[in-house]
Amino acid sequence: MNFDINTIVYILEILVGGLLVGIGVHFVPVGGAPAAMAQATGIGTGTVQLAAGSGLTGLLAAGLMMSVTDNLWLILASGAVGAGIMIGSTMLTGSWIYAYAVGVPFASAKVNYDPITGFSQPPYVAIGTVGHGIPTICFVSGLIGGMMGGLGGAMIYYPLYLINGNAALSAMFAIGIFLVNAVIASWNIQGTIEGFHDPKFKKWPFAFKACAIASILLALASVLITGGA
Amino acid sequence: MSVGGSAGGAPSAYDPKKLRMYGLVGSVVGIYLGAILNSALDTTVFSFIGAIAAIFAVVMGANAVRRVCAYGIGTGVPSIGMLALGMGIIAVMFGLSMAETLGSVLLGPIIILIYAGVFGYIIGVIANKVIKFNIPVMEEGNADLSMAGALAILGWSFAISGTLGYVDILNNVLMTGYIAIIFIAGGLAILHPFNANLGPDEKQDRTLVNAIMVSALAMIATGIAAIATQGLASGLLQLVIGFALWFYFFKMYYRLVKRDAAAVVGTGLLPPAVQ
Repeated sequence: MNFDINTIVYILEILVGGLLVGIGVHFVPVGGAPAAMAQATGIGTGTVQLAAGSGLTGLLAAGLMMSVTDNLWLILASGAVGAGIMIGSTMLTGSWIYAYAVGVPFASAKVNYDPITGFSQPPYVAIGTVGHGIPTICFVSGLIGGMMGGLGGAMIYYPLYLINGNAALSAMFAIGIFLVNAVIASWNIQGTIEGFHDPKFKKWPFAFKACAIASILLALASVLITGGA
Repeated sequence: MSVGGSAGGAPSAYDPKKLRMYGLVGSVVGIYLGAILNSALDTTVFSFIGAIAAIFAVVMGANAVRRVCAYGIGTGVPSIGMLALGMGIIAVMFGLSMAETLGSVLLGPIIILIYAGVFGYIIGVIANKVIKFNIPVMEEGNADLSMAGALAILGWSFAISGTLGYVDILNNVLMTGYIAIIFIAGGLAILHPFNANLGPDEKQDRTLVNAIMVSALAMIATGIAAIATQGLASGLLQLVIGFALWFYFFKMYYRLVKRDAAAVVGTGLLPPAVQ
């Protein structure tokens, strides 16, 4: 492995990708187990599952685009859109279940008025819960988060593929980097968050620092491996 | 309090230091034994030792999950299992690639162990100092988890490919996609035991027996994969040993469940042989 200016660029790309994943997690409306019982706002599963789901879709979309072109911007856009579609369809189908099967109105307990639609929230929050369903603000926030995750995944995958030229190895390595950053970020929000309007969102600088340290260490390891050819 | 030892702040019947020693020594020795026997006798029959070595690592990892998660991390137990495997896969690929570059395949497990231990410890420090978790066993627990994840992935990768060579593992495990099975089966083996058994009546021995049981299931999966990569004889041997281990530990687990439960009412779904 020759150490040159490209290596530094690769390291920086992986670092930025890891940071995008870590910050993106903060945008996704993760409700965890309470949301699965419609007792909290957001999607009813854990951060890691959501981040991994959208990130891996982003990886696949980026990998597919990479097989036909090597234009960085197209690959990044493909990754972001792929992950955005994945998280968007998850929230959409989740909303159908909340609306038609569980039968709850979509309401956030963290804000009095939805910043996007301006609808009043507190009258619709059932007593004993902290909101339910996926209100508009959470949906928009989730889309942004998913697209950031996909962008981050593509940003990690692209330099890895250029370093070792092995798609399977790059994908597994990207998944590893992705999971480490997603878990650190999910620890920062302590499992649940509603989106960028949630007070917990202000904690993102902690995740930024933590993900930066972790990503640098992972990037240093990843530029050293070879494709085994 | 019975022999099991319960979670809450993690008092335990088996000392974590001892379990760590057994886990590290058992898995490293197992992987080396399998690799040396395989290459010395020019066969792949001994690949199953890799899957057995992974069981030692999984028990160590499941115990670390139990210690850390007993404090409550807020994100659910699966997140820490996925973190273990995420750190593990990077350590494995890094270690094997470095060993190939340095020209000695047998250096691989040592490099993997060092990288995984150091990286896991740093993640633990980040979690405590930057994210402000303030869980006293976080550094230690994350180092354990990282090493356990790495050694388990290495053990199962060896069980499928039959050698420790980087190129062979790339071609037999990564390019074929069997790594996905290892990833999920391994993640389950490490995270599922505490996730399934947690609660005020959690007992260490029951959790760890569950870990062995799930890793034996993973061994069945690697056995099926090994049939495709190494041929019928060594794959089938692995599958049969995995099934025997699973059956034995499933019965043991069921016995422990009956010991700890106030009452067990059968639904008739389990055949009489396992009860």
